Amino acid sequence: MDIAAVLNEKCIELNLKARNKEEAIRELTDLLSEQGLITDQEEFFTAVQEREKLFSTGIGMGIAIPHGKSPAVRQAAVAFGRSANGVDFNSMDDKPAHLIFLLAVPEDANDLHLQVLSTLSRLLMHKEVREALSKATSAAEVVAAFKTGAENE
Amino acid sequence: MKKLVAVTACPTGIAHTYMAAENLALAAKELGVEIKVETQGSVGVENKLSEEDIWAAEAVIIAAATKVDRSRFAGKAILEVPVEQAIKDPKELIEKALQLQKPKDYVEEVREIKREQAAARSGVYKHLMTGVSYMIPFVVAGGILIAISFAFGIEAFKQPGTLPAALMQIGGGSAFALMVPILSAYIAFSIADRPGLVPGFVGGMLAVSTGAGFLGGIISGFLAGYTIEILRKAIRLPRTLEGLMPVLILPVLSCLIVGLLMIYAIGTPIKGIMTGLTNWLSGLSNANAALLGLVLGLMMAFDMGGPVNKAAYTFATGLLASNIFAPMAAVMAAGMTPPLGLALATVIAKDRFTKEEIEAGKAAWFLGISFITEGAIPFAAADPLRVIPSIMIGSGITGALSMLFGAMLRVPHGGIFVLPIPHAVTNLPLYILAIAIGTVVTALLVAVLKKR
Repeated sequence: MDIAAVLNEKCIELNLKARNKEEAIRELTDLLSEQGLITDQEEFFTAVQEREKLFSTGIGMGIAIPHGKSPAVRQAAVAFGRSANGVDFNSMDDKPAHLIFLLAVPEDANDLHLQVLSTLSRLLMHKEVREALSKATSAAEVVAAFKTGAENE
Repeated sequence: MKKLVAVTACPTGIAHTYMAAENLALAAKELGVEIKVETQGSVGVENKLSEEDIWAAEAVIIAAATKVDRSRFAGKAILEVPVEQAIKDPKELIEKALQLQKPKDYVEEVREIKREQAAARSGVYKHLMTGVSYMIPFVVAGGILIAISFAFGIEAFKQPGTLPAALMQIGGGSAFALMVPILSAYIAFSIADRPGLVPGFVGGMLAVSTGAGFLGGIISGFLAGYTIEILRKAIRLPRTLEGLMPVLILPVLSCLIVGLLMIYAIGTPIKGIMTGLTNWLSGLSNANAALLGLVLGLMMAFDMGGPVNKAAYTFATGLLASNIFAPMAAVMAAGMTPPLGLALATVIAKDRFTKEEIEAGKAAWFLGISFITEGAIPFAAADPLRVIPSIMIGSGITGALSMLFGAMLRVPHGGIFVLPIPHAVTNLPLYILAIAIGTVVTALLVAVLKKR
């Protein structure tokens, strides 16, 4: 299970500048776009907003996982942003989100990539993984946090 | 180990599906419960639940934002929630699922309804009903034994040393005589717990001796209960002397207060009311008697075991203490016709009912003849605007006829099973006719009103 297949270190921002939900999603979309993983930023952004409208992806515990499925996505990928001040995501526990994961899924997704995404989602439910992510000082450490979490399963 | 199964699914099928699954698995591990979670995500179905998995599970949790096929889980208890709830409160979900019961059958459902009705009572109504529920068995036992004594001859009990005399002593002299004191005592018990029993019983005895009857008993019960409550709050003893409260202070003071009030203030006026009431009831013209029967019948069917029904029932039962037996007959007959009428309707008009209702109808025959009016509730809940008026009219007619035919009943429960006991009911053939007519009327009304 290669987390690096979907989590590119260049798509990790440990100090998000965003002050609200929309800015956070745009900031993370930019990261994915710079790596050529998204062909049409606006289309992808719309897909994410649509999903957000269904019910908020602020699942509490300081995490948010906005995601979108769109033909504008070239290959399944994740962008991770950490916000020191926290971003309001209409979370289920009414607390701001500090760890934000933007998941991008192509229309005809490769099963293997999707498996990795689902594993990533599962790992976020573990307290140790979230703590390691909060303390990470570099993008490499973020990826390592997931790898360790996956090994301990 | 207890086993559960679950299915998680969410629209995009990438994140929430798996997070819900993970959290359910983690929570189950913490609670020592085994769980298998099938995920329906973008990759398709993973960890699919087999037939054995489902069969072995206590309950099924469906945490989904999309439609999940439930036919696999037929017959199992299912807890369906939005997928976020599984992410947020997985432990609570699992605990709730373990407490779920399998879909109930009709008789169990009626029992459950009765339990819920009892639990929902509060305040004055609850206290009164507690007293009544303790009182009923005494009246049933007493009434039946008195009736059996009459089987030997109406005056037979007057011969000392004979069996009928003994039966009358047991039924009338003892069981029946305890009726009002028990009512009073347990109303007080409901209000004030054990200490209420002393002034409750004593007040009830005084209600009988002053002629205040069951109305006096109800008053003395509430008086006793609240007197104890007030005394408890007003008297503060040092901790070492607290033991004296239930044994000495409360009994003496409460009896004094309640007793004196009953003798000097309450007994006589209430006796006057009771005498007036019994005289009025004994002297009812046929038309007024039928009217009373009609009203009692309507009340019995209006909420089938609810407060209005209980008011009519308690009124009729209480009058037994004053030797008025006609309202009791009307009330029991009117309480039998709703389930009986609905049972008949499911037979003569099958195409108006669902399969489950027809099955329920079979059981409703037995509930009806046992005087369990609540048997009509599931039918009424499914179609209130058609069922409730039908049963009310049927019961009203039965009540009126019962009073017109002069039927009298000295036993407050038992339905058809007490009818064969000689002298439990008078004018038996006409009484049965009254019940039969009401049953048929209800059935016809339901059949006509209900759509195919």
